[in-house]
Amino acid sequence: MKKTLFTAGLVSLMSTAAMAEGIGVSMAKFDDNFLTVLRNGIQAQADAAGLSVQIEDAQDDVAKQLDQINNFIASGVDAIIVNPVDTSATQAMTDAAAAAGVPLVYVNRQPINVDTLPDNQAFVASNESESSTQGVIEQCTQWAAAGKTEVSVYVLQGQLSNQAAVQRTQNIYDVIDAGKCAVKINVIDQQTANWSRDEAQNLMTNWLSTGAALDGVIANNDEMALGALQALKAAGIDMGSVIVSGVDATQDALASMQAGELDITVFQNAAAQGGGALDAAVKLAAGEAVEQKVYVPFELVTPANIADYLAKN
Amino acid sequence: MRGGSSRPAFVWLQRPCAQPGRKAHSDKEMAVAEATHGLGGLKYDPSKRTRAPEWNVFGALVLIVVVFEVLNRLQGGSFLFNMRDNLDTIFNQQRLDIMILQVAIIGIIALGVTQVIIIGGIDLSSGSVVGVTAMVVMSFAQTAMVNGNPNPKAIFGDWAMDLPVFIPIVVGLACGLLAGLINGLLIAYTKIPPFIATLGMMVSARGAARWWSNGQPVSFPTETYGTLANGDILGGMTFGLLSWPGQNPAVVFVGLAVLFHVIMTYTLYGKRSYAIGSNEAAARMSGIDVDRHKVLVYSIAGLMAAVAAILLTSKNLTAQSGMGVMYELDAIAMAVIGGVSLAGGRGSIIGTVLGAAIFSVIISGFTSVKLDAYYQEMVKGAIIVGAVVLDQWRQRQRVRG
Repeated sequence: MKKTLFTAGLVSLMSTAAMAEGIGVSMAKFDDNFLTVLRNGIQAQADAAGLSVQIEDAQDDVAKQLDQINNFIASGVDAIIVNPVDTSATQAMTDAAAAAGVPLVYVNRQPINVDTLPDNQAFVASNESESSTQGVIEQCTQWAAAGKTEVSVYVLQGQLSNQAAVQRTQNIYDVIDAGKCAVKINVIDQQTANWSRDEAQNLMTNWLSTGAALDGVIANNDEMALGALQALKAAGIDMGSVIVSGVDATQDALASMQAGELDITVFQNAAAQGGGALDAAVKLAAGEAVEQKVYVPFELVTPANIADYLAKN
Repeated sequence: MRGGSSRPAFVWLQRPCAQPGRKAHSDKEMAVAEATHGLGGLKYDPSKRTRAPEWNVFGALVLIVVVFEVLNRLQGGSFLFNMRDNLDTIFNQQRLDIMILQVAIIGIIALGVTQVIIIGGIDLSSGSVVGVTAMVVMSFAQTAMVNGNPNPKAIFGDWAMDLPVFIPIVVGLACGLLAGLINGLLIAYTKIPPFIATLGMMVSARGAARWWSNGQPVSFPTETYGTLANGDILGGMTFGLLSWPGQNPAVVFVGLAVLFHVIMTYTLYGKRSYAIGSNEAAARMSGIDVDRHKVLVYSIAGLMAAVAAILLTSKNLTAQSGMGVMYELDAIAMAVIGGVSLAGGRGSIIGTVLGAAIFSVIISGFTSVKLDAYYQEMVKGAIIVGAVVLDQWRQRQRVRG
């Protein structure tokens, strides 16, 4: 409460707006599962600190997001948290907030101007270049343990306009090129299933209809990995003969892992990112200095350590 | 429907004319009327009969299949035929299965949307209705224990766990029906354009889908619920004579398509639909309760969206608030490719089914030749526009000829 009053007082001194309005949050998309966990992380942290947050949905629309930010600025918020729709369109947001002197924190998706952010702006996320890397290396180890030296895999990509999808796919090839993989990987085909379970299921069934033998599937997220697993099961393929990996460690994925289907996933701590973003925003609003790039580490999840993650997402 | 679906409308317009009052005309006038074409002489002439537009769509479908077969052959594979030594079939059964399955769910929506478009309306809400119905249905289909742990995604308390499977089905159908009913009542009685009414429903229903569980997915249904889409309904209905496991959405799609084809072609409901779409004022004049009929048609469209939502959630074993995004446009596109006119009064269920088949062949075809999804969408768009351009051109030819 003391902090709220303090920040409120501070902002009313700084800006011409008559009243402090708490913290404004613009999320790229409300119906994304991962972003929902992140959003709830922000909300939980705010509730714990007794702060009021106003969360808006940019509905994957760059223009709408910029409008929301300008509306936040106009209503005199203490700070703004942005989960950018398009990571290459963040300069305008940075400029708008900087011109009004309102602190801004980017969360989860790395803005293109991350290296030139003004002092009262920050970035909180997990380092995408670590994301699928751990999963793929683990997958290679499991293949090697199964006595394989050369494997054929399918790659399921997320939405192609999305930085995470591009990076997570790139990580696979980086692991191969760096010689970190214990076996030789042949990618039979890679296509997008737009992060969706249903699309992945259809795509996998289409792939299976070509009759090519496979040793595993590498998916950019868990939803698509689950879709692929459903298609593999429907085709009567033995779950022990294929190794499937995803990213996110969602509840659905963990349940699938417990059932002996999904082999590997990587946990991205959405709640910690949301909470971290709020902390950074509060500190910036109070005029304190913060680390400009805060990275929340990814964590590898396999049946061996699944118990630690069941209650996290 | 053959030779343009305006014929049933014509039947309806003629009926009042066949009243005794019409007999006042002289025999000479009647003779003239029968000898001429155009106004006042809508006489059936076999030489003027044109090929049903569905044949053109079918031709396009065959052409696209052949193109993909050739492309596959160039790469040493085959699109439709089995090339694997370990399987003893002529066709690639797996691919034929997925081709029907992958459009079945949107196809079911398209069956309802086709009827809406035939009465001269439009339904933009079906995708969002799928989303909200999915969330609601799944909340009543959850199981209490997942791998020995309590369901981590439970929406309601224990009372809503492991309910008999008919409860989520009934709740889901009611949800879709309600959305369709609201659409229909708005359009019929407030006289606002269908585009606006269903646009409103599209936005509101999507909002409701997100609100239901604050955007969180609803997962882990009972085993029985999972068999709704992944079981073998055909085997169950024919006592094991036929079997098509895992293809229930396809079975339901084909079954509903046959049902609605019969309804649209042979029943009063169908004839009224075409009459209203061809000329609403004339249909009203000839005694059709247009408003009531509209409510009925939009309700059926809502019901189809609910059926799609139930099958979609059962197939994926999860419900997400983003489910069904863009389904309405895919459904409309299927109908349009199949020759359903957005002006109303023309088109058929068979056409829409063929439109869905073209969609499906493109998806599987591009995957089989390992081309990226970018190209799929570009081609899909071109085909939607191309289909309508060809149809318009053909109609002009017919008027001229």
